[in-house]
Amino acid sequence: MNVSSLITMLFTDYTLRTVALGAAVLGIVSGALGSFALLRRQSLLGDAISHAALPGVVLAFLLTRSKAPLVLVAGAMIAGWLATLLFMAIIRSTRIKEDSALAFVLSTFFGLGLALLTFTQRLPDSRQAGLEHFLFGQAAALMVEDVLTMSLLGGLALILLGVFWKEFKLLSFDRDFGASLGFPMAALDVLLTTLLVTAIVIGLQAVGVVLMSALIIAPAAAARQWTDRLGVMTALSALFGALSGLSGALISSLVPGFSTGPTVVLCASALVLFSLLLAPNRGLIWNGLRQRRSRLKLQAPESSVLKISTGLPGPAGGEAQGGGYEHL
Amino acid sequence: MQVKPTTAVEVNDLTVAYRDQAVLWDVDLTIPEGSLTAIVGPNGAGKSTLLKTILGLLKPAAGHVLIYGKPYTQQRRLVGYVPQRGSVDWDFPTTVEDVVMMGLYGRLGWIRRPGRRERKLALKALEKVGMLEYAGRQISQLSGGQQQRVFLARALAQDARIYFMDEPFQGVDATTERAIVALLHGLRQSGKTVVVVHHDLQTVPEYFDRVTLLNVQCIASGPVAEVFNEENLRRTYGGRIAFFHQPGFSANGKGGELPVPAGVPAVPAAAGENGRNGR
Amino acid sequence: MSIFDIEIVLIAVVTAAACALPGVFLVLRRNAMISDAISHTVLLGIVLGFFLVQDLSSPWLIIGAAATGVLTVSLTSLLERTRLVKEDAATGLVFPALFSIAVILITRYAGNVHLDTDAVLVGEIAFAPFDRFILGGLDLGPRGLWVMGVILLVNLAFITLFYKELKISTFDAGLAAALGFAPGLIHYALMALVSITVVGAFDIVGSILVVALMVAPAITAYLLTDRLAVMLALSVAIGALSALLGYALAVLLDASIAGSMAAAAGILFGLVLLFAPERGLLAAARRRRLQRWEFAQTMLAIHLMNHEDSPQGDVENRVDHLHEHLRWDPDFTERVLQRAENHAWVARRPSGRLELTEEGRRHAKKVVTT
Repeated sequence: MNVSSLITMLFTDYTLRTVALGAAVLGIVSGALGSFALLRRQSLLGDAISHAALPGVVLAFLLTRSKAPLVLVAGAMIAGWLATLLFMAIIRSTRIKEDSALAFVLSTFFGLGLALLTFTQRLPDSRQAGLEHFLFGQAAALMVEDVLTMSLLGGLALILLGVFWKEFKLLSFDRDFGASLGFPMAALDVLLTTLLVTAIVIGLQAVGVVLMSALIIAPAAAARQWTDRLGVMTALSALFGALSGLSGALISSLVPGFSTGPTVVLCASALVLFSLLLAPNRGLIWNGLRQRRSRLKLQAPESSVLKISTGLPGPAGGEAQGGGYEHL
Repeated sequence: MQVKPTTAVEVNDLTVAYRDQAVLWDVDLTIPEGSLTAIVGPNGAGKSTLLKTILGLLKPAAGHVLIYGKPYTQQRRLVGYVPQRGSVDWDFPTTVEDVVMMGLYGRLGWIRRPGRRERKLALKALEKVGMLEYAGRQISQLSGGQQQRVFLARALAQDARIYFMDEPFQGVDATTERAIVALLHGLRQSGKTVVVVHHDLQTVPEYFDRVTLLNVQCIASGPVAEVFNEENLRRTYGGRIAFFHQPGFSANGKGGELPVPAGVPAVPAAAGENGRNGR
Repeated sequence: MSIFDIEIVLIAVVTAAACALPGVFLVLRRNAMISDAISHTVLLGIVLGFFLVQDLSSPWLIIGAAATGVLTVSLTSLLERTRLVKEDAATGLVFPALFSIAVILITRYAGNVHLDTDAVLVGEIAFAPFDRFILGGLDLGPRGLWVMGVILLVNLAFITLFYKELKISTFDAGLAAALGFAPGLIHYALMALVSITVVGAFDIVGSILVVALMVAPAITAYLLTDRLAVMLALSVAIGALSALLGYALAVLLDASIAGSMAAAAGILFGLVLLFAPERGLLAAARRRRLQRWEFAQTMLAIHLMNHEDSPQGDVENRVDHLHEHLRWDPDFTERVLQRAENHAWVARRPSGRLELTEEGRRHAKKVVTT
């Protein structure tokens, strides 16, 4: 199949169009919110939330016997939020540290989800078929109503992100300062986390619980290498997310033997690798070349020592460094 | 005719606990308008906690704080804050200008974005700290001293009447330190009140006119000449302090702007306190 | 209860014990999420190993998979050292990529073999008894039991032999390095152990349950003790209990054994979280309630002490003004006063003024001079 026939198919084939649209939407939303998750060091929390969503999805089905997208998404959101609350409760009230609390919440919720899933699969109800696709995702199964739900919720999340943009920026960069200005930082934190949970749950059907968190982090990590402005980074991340989502979903729909989740993640990871190596300023290859060039120049001994020991640029007055870090 | 100076900050019976442990017990202090006050004490004395409680970031177990006679929540517009430099991640993707504009967010209120007017105000503040040409620079490319200046500019942009600063001299180079001191004196000159959590005892007499000695309790608070003496320092630092007596020789050998009575010892940083660049 | 049930329970208990041991160190070293990462990426090692030797029961698979586990850790560490991404993001980037490669390789090229993706996650301990270890024509029992038994012994041996080194490098890496214990080496050895345990347990209980069995018993034990040796023993015991309870639950509800074991481990943690003496939530709440009165009385004493000699003392140290200055509820103030009087720390004068007794002053002084 060549590119032109692929593009034609995109416009003519109804299923393919739906799949592509859904993948693009979830890519944009997860990319945009992933930027903030990355900056707030919530990568692993995203992993836990997405795994924890599984029992929510299955329970929602068991209680309502409906696989309507809104129902399943609601179940996923509630479970995701419960997991977050449990995580925060554990780290606030005991001496258990964040990584352990996350690993615990992730594995027990997910284990519960798997137990419920196998229980459901044994039921004579044929409607349960397809629930197991929430593990690794199946973009090909996306229906119009799914894409509508994703777009609605995702759109809402993006709008809220835009509306409270400066507040979220303040929250992510300097929470205490924001509090001193009078902004309710705790409430903003809850809101931003809710938006993150939303971004995660709308992608679960296509990408699956196991790998959704990678789609939150990878586009953002890739975007970070290309820019130093939050707005550009978020937009770029949304674009990368859409690209990964689209290519992953299309490949997985058209080529047999490719589950959507892993395919999307591989596309996103490729973007990350490319960005890490080749982005100007931060890219490793770029920095490698620049280092060779500057080794030929004479450098003041103290500033080199400073760089090696602290990784920070030398004191004021030194040549402005192009990249964020000297490659150690 | 002497007019009684206005009280800018009044702390009454403030007790603050953190995880069932008391960090501040029954702290009373007043800070008059137009003064430059240092808050000093050993590590863990509650200095940052005091600042954060005054700013409403922590809830006290007892007592209250008044800013110009009213609770802080009603006076936010009058207060500027410079948090510790190490409290943020300087790798965050944002520019110097952007950070300074955050000082204006309070004035913008909810949802409204900063515009041209805010940008102008931010650039003005940057000029006052000598960082105007770095306006478009990514903050990860800044040195420690430059970062501190940016934080100061942000507070200046708040255009407050009282400024609270948490260890603004920590880990900055000598040039920046001199510049910051000049800035603080300039603020005081224009009638502003400045309260600084300070880590370096040696420079207290030279930089500040008032000092509060804190160690879970308020040991002493008042003009440097009256309060900053050997006995109070021993009470604050529990005897873990060394004194070099050099009568007739002012601290550091530099003639400070502030009068230093002869016989006041030059006090190096107390044992157990981190040095200038430590943390 | 048939022989199969007994064998399954035995395998489950041995697996839980084998997982609990390295789990304790992961929790203490703040590296718990690495178990999640490794449990995903060993699949790649298994798949590549399978492609090489075409035999699912070859020991090469375990070695290859363990190597992949260690590879994950070094790649993550490498990525982090570029300073282009932070530590948590590095973890969240490396293992999904490796895992995705593995899953695609399986579904594309190995779909007709026992390796299927659901089994990857869940394992199927119910089938374990059918996979026998035959040596010289003799049926020595389920293979899973032998594999996990050996792994348990290896873990136990490592921890016993290197107990001192593990202990020091966990609590003070700097000291360990200064003493010549090479904390980096210990770190990688531990990661190798974790990988081997994950691979061994994989087939039986699937990757996610391994994480639950490594972390849940360890954090439960962490709430019950301060001593490393006790924590290790407790984790093993709690893990074994989770296995037993989990199996009972699975039989009762006809549910997945692995999932039920994870649920059981979770429930046990929940119970301990609530009811542990000292560290449990209920105990802490009770303690805080008691402390609140103690605290308030101490505050009162200190306040009186600070103001009694000052001219404001007459004004401040009065019943009616007290709650104004301290901003306490008048009701609360009265109750605190009564308790302080019971302690003989405070005396109430008929004029309404409050006086600190000698006892009260001693107590206040003691508190502020610590």
